[in-house]
Amino acid sequence: MPNGQSALATPTMERAPAAGQAAGAVPDREGPARQGNVQPMLEVIDAVHAYGDVVALDNVTVTAAPGEFLTILGESGSGKTTLLRLISGLEKPYKIGALRLNGVDVSEVPAFSRNCTTVFQNYALFPHMTVGANVEYGLRVRGVPPDERRQRAQDALKLVRLADKYDRRIHQLSGGERQRVALARALVPRPAILLLDEPLGALDEKLRVDMQVELMEIHKSLGMTFVYITHSQEEALTMSDRIILMRKGRIEQAGTPHEIFDRPVSRFVAGFMGVENLMEATLVGLDGDDALVEVDGQRMAGAWSGRTRPAVGDKVVVGMRAERLHIADRPPQGPGLNVLPGRLDSAIYKGKYLDRTVLTEVGPIKVRLWDSSSSTAEQGFVWWKKADCMVMSA
Amino acid sequence: MLDRLTPSGVAVPAFLITWSLVVILPLLVIVLFSFLQVKSYRVVYVPTLGTWESVIDSGRWIVAVRTLRIAITMTLIELLLAFPFALWLAKGCKSKPAKAIIITLLTIPFFLDTSSRIIVWRSILGTNGIVNTVLTSMGIVDEPISWLLYSEFAVHFGMLGSYFPTMVFPIFMIMSLIDDDYIQASSDLGASPGQTLLYVILPMSLPGVVAGVVFTLVPLMAAFVEPQMLGGGFVNLLGNSVNSALQELKYPTAAALSTIVVALLGVCLAALILITRKRFDMSTMFQAIRR
Repeated sequence: MPNGQSALATPTMERAPAAGQAAGAVPDREGPARQGNVQPMLEVIDAVHAYGDVVALDNVTVTAAPGEFLTILGESGSGKTTLLRLISGLEKPYKIGALRLNGVDVSEVPAFSRNCTTVFQNYALFPHMTVGANVEYGLRVRGVPPDERRQRAQDALKLVRLADKYDRRIHQLSGGERQRVALARALVPRPAILLLDEPLGALDEKLRVDMQVELMEIHKSLGMTFVYITHSQEEALTMSDRIILMRKGRIEQAGTPHEIFDRPVSRFVAGFMGVENLMEATLVGLDGDDALVEVDGQRMAGAWSGRTRPAVGDKVVVGMRAERLHIADRPPQGPGLNVLPGRLDSAIYKGKYLDRTVLTEVGPIKVRLWDSSSSTAEQGFVWWKKADCMVMSA
Repeated sequence: MLDRLTPSGVAVPAFLITWSLVVILPLLVIVLFSFLQVKSYRVVYVPTLGTWESVIDSGRWIVAVRTLRIAITMTLIELLLAFPFALWLAKGCKSKPAKAIIITLLTIPFFLDTSSRIIVWRSILGTNGIVNTVLTSMGIVDEPISWLLYSEFAVHFGMLGSYFPTMVFPIFMIMSLIDDDYIQASSDLGASPGQTLLYVILPMSLPGVVAGVVFTLVPLMAAFVEPQMLGGGFVNLLGNSVNSALQELKYPTAAALSTIVVALLGVCLAALILITRKRFDMSTMFQAIRR
């Protein structure tokens, strides 16, 4: 609910613990945010771009509401970074319908005149400047007087919890600290949109999780529009208001984390979002969203989440998440349950859970068991609810 | 690998001793020699200020001042030409073959003898040369321009090509090392191209600029071919004086003049270090370019 959020932004700021310190880096939200309920902060219409013969963007249209945390998700080569560079102006699109920031067409405006800043994947902090000079840079080039820019830079450093590092040199900082300096530097000019290009990619696991939380808090306290690029589905699910999943220069699916996670439109989306069990199936019946499919002679009931509605007899894909499957010694009774007999095969111990493979008539099925003592029998039944059986476009 | 590159306890002293023997010792000998005298082709080992007095009395210090002036002027001219050129070559020139050809072309001054390269200009710049012939035949000037040859202009002009590569190469190399991300980050943060040049590219390419200045200024202080060929006797530099002193077997005079060259260079480089040291530490400057 990006709209509701932007309306709430001001009270949220007052409640947030960092809000007082953050004052220096808060963008001027009065006008745009209010109108923003009707006007998107970012509009990319029909962007086309290519590197030589390789199509990087194929008629991509993306919009973001004011205050929204929009994540563009995709593997390398999906065109997500190209899209970001088009927005920032560092790359000139081959063809674009329109590119509007806060309602103003900026497709012909050079990068340095656009009201958006980028947190680069490798930070790109100026090595010949101190931390403070790096953070102040955006203000220095705008002719802000030294006293004011020092104050605002210190506020921003406080926001990212690096207040005492103002006079340090860049090479004296750790990876996580550099990350936060890059964030502070991008926030200080108070951009309308903050673009983040896989900013956590170079950090180790624990730091990454900490920074995710920190980024979400900063986003909430500033109410700024964030456009976040990542290849990690976990990062996207954790932080975003909305996710755009890209594949080969096209948008494969756009929606809330819930929609993308629970209602993937295609085999690609399901695979990308970590659905372990994916099988080809033939559609037998479709009533509303209730789908009946057949896999190797076995009938299964599921929920349709695909793109265009198929006809009976069409090829579809059925997918189940391992953690939504259950194992039982006797076939469970109940309406809307899918049950398959099978032989329990190998198990992989993962600490918190156990991944078991069940060999069934439709092939091996991976089941995630949270209670490792649940079943030790050789033969058993796999069962899952109809709602947990996703039927989608092939 | 890096471990094995760390110098052992012997390497540093060995380098210092070798360098002293090969470079610094001859320099000291030259300085000492300027206080001796040569009588009937034999060195008289009695210290005397005679050579220095005659150098100063004969007005050769004017030559020293002129040498310094021309060397510094030429270094500045080369810097102003080379910096934008290097920037274009490193960041602007996208065609790899074009870049390779330009780099090769830049080495030409190194593999042609200076005298044979310079003497060509006489037939171009002279009163009967190509430039004047064209200008008079087109009626742009009534009579040939005389200051084109055998003048300070001609000397500067002749030096232009010889000392351009030594300025371009170090600047080009350091600029090639500057990651494009820094330039893009600067632009992304709102810096105009001019501000990016001033705040990011210039400071980051300073090590190359310093190297270029040193590699250009030092040989310029000892230049003698251009003034001899294109100066026509009007533009005598220290290099020429040293040369003629050697030919007249006035070794102490040559030594005294060389000492002046070395002293002037020392002053110039010290000034350069002082100017740049305030904001940039030479030893960590290259380190800073890396990420």
